[in-house]
Amino acid sequence: MASGTQKKGPQGGKGGKKSAVSAARASVVTKKGPPWALIAGITAIVLLAGGVFSYAYFQVSAAQKFIASDDNKDPSEAINGVVKVAYASGQHVQATQRVAYDQSPPFGGPHDGVWADCTGIVYPAPVRNENMVHTLEHGTVWIAYNPDKVQGAELDKLKSKVEGTAYMVMSPYPGLDRPISLQSWGHQLKLDSAEDERIDQFIKSLRANNYQNPEPGGRCDSNQTGFDPANPPPFVAEKPGADAVGMDGKNPGASTAPSASAPASTPAPASTPAAPTTSAAAPSQ
Amino acid sequence: MTTPDEPTARSFSSGRSTLVYVAAAVVVLLVGAAAGMLITLATTGSAPETPGADSIDVGFAQDMRVHHLQAITMAGMARDRSEDTEVRQLAFDIESTQLDQSGQLSGWLTAWGQPTLSPPDQPHMRWMAGAHTHSDAAGVDLMPGMATSEELMKLRALKGTEFTVYFLQLMLRHHVGGLEMATYAADHARVGYVRNLAQKIASGQKAEVDLLTTMLKARGAQPLPG
Repeated sequence: MASGTQKKGPQGGKGGKKSAVSAARASVVTKKGPPWALIAGITAIVLLAGGVFSYAYFQVSAAQKFIASDDNKDPSEAINGVVKVAYASGQHVQATQRVAYDQSPPFGGPHDGVWADCTGIVYPAPVRNENMVHTLEHGTVWIAYNPDKVQGAELDKLKSKVEGTAYMVMSPYPGLDRPISLQSWGHQLKLDSAEDERIDQFIKSLRANNYQNPEPGGRCDSNQTGFDPANPPPFVAEKPGADAVGMDGKNPGASTAPSASAPASTPAPASTPAAPTTSAAAPSQ
Repeated sequence: MTTPDEPTARSFSSGRSTLVYVAAAVVVLLVGAAAGMLITLATTGSAPETPGADSIDVGFAQDMRVHHLQAITMAGMARDRSEDTEVRQLAFDIESTQLDQSGQLSGWLTAWGQPTLSPPDQPHMRWMAGAHTHSDAAGVDLMPGMATSEELMKLRALKGTEFTVYFLQLMLRHHVGGLEMATYAADHARVGYVRNLAQKIASGQKAEVDLLTTMLKARGAQPLPG
């Protein structure tokens, strides 16, 4: 094909070009003025093409913007205010243990071997963090709210996003520093209003997102686990003690003798997020 | 088409003819691009990512599915029969996660027009260079970490703590093998979502290898030799 064009160039091609050019020139010459028809035609085509471009762009971007795919592994990056921390997965603690989480509410790190039931349950009372974090590992979005600040219609609006919806849970979180906080594994978004459009964007982007959640296909119901959705382990407001499991999954005191004189350093919540480099949730992968 | 006054035209409006050329080129490009974009729009979502029968993607999906199915079988036994709460919980977690992932694998294979299990004339692990297969008593090739039929029969027969410990030992070895397969596929599969799941399986099973090892130790037992 390439050779054909080249051969054609000097002879037939050139001749054809010349004639077309002269025809154009002739029309220009005879009219002696701006070629309005040509300009109008070109303008119309440019506008049409522009219209098609915009239409296509908005169709594609609106439909795909918050949907995870191989080309868009973390759509939440387009949402303002999302905090991301990479956590190592799969570290379990016992029902009697506590984890010194680095975030409040926590959204990753060591957790109880049992996950909080995430079959679209609105928990009326605060639930133990260690169970909630495990449910995030399975791909759940957890809506936490400050019970003193979110009530009435706002609360109902949030409930409507959770009730009966798979891989969604909601619970009050006493002392929450903002009215609403959304958690997905390694992701958090704190908000002031239940009307905020970013709530749906966050859920759309991260719920059961197989690129961001460590255990794609993890289960929600708690039939065999001993977790009772009607009577879940309660949230503990007090800060965890020195015997709590750290964010690295290491336990300073509890596994040996739980003595009160465990090495002084309380697992500092402010210490650099545990094991960020080992996480499987890094979007770059 | 050819006109005799060509030289005049050239001298008259060489600037304008350049404009016409450029405009025509732009128009052609725009129309082409717009048409292309409409076609793309119409076919969005049907990207032709279809790996063939000999691909790493298909081999991994078929073999990992079988590998998962055995873990589901063993975990189901432990979930029903272990008297150890922590082991029952972990077994249920493994069983349900791997059952879902097995469904993802068979869904892909169906969409790719491939058998959801390795065909009989295709040996396991053909897709993975340097794989450590082993054979059972009957000489059947097994994937890395798979329990033999004899081992499964033994697991079925055991009770109490012996059952729980043997389950942990078999599952640990099974995970180590699965980790090897998943790591290879995470590095070498062609399709992005296959590499993603493989990588999640690898990191998840790596974490569970540590967990199973700790749980064995806590019950005064060791991993299986070799």
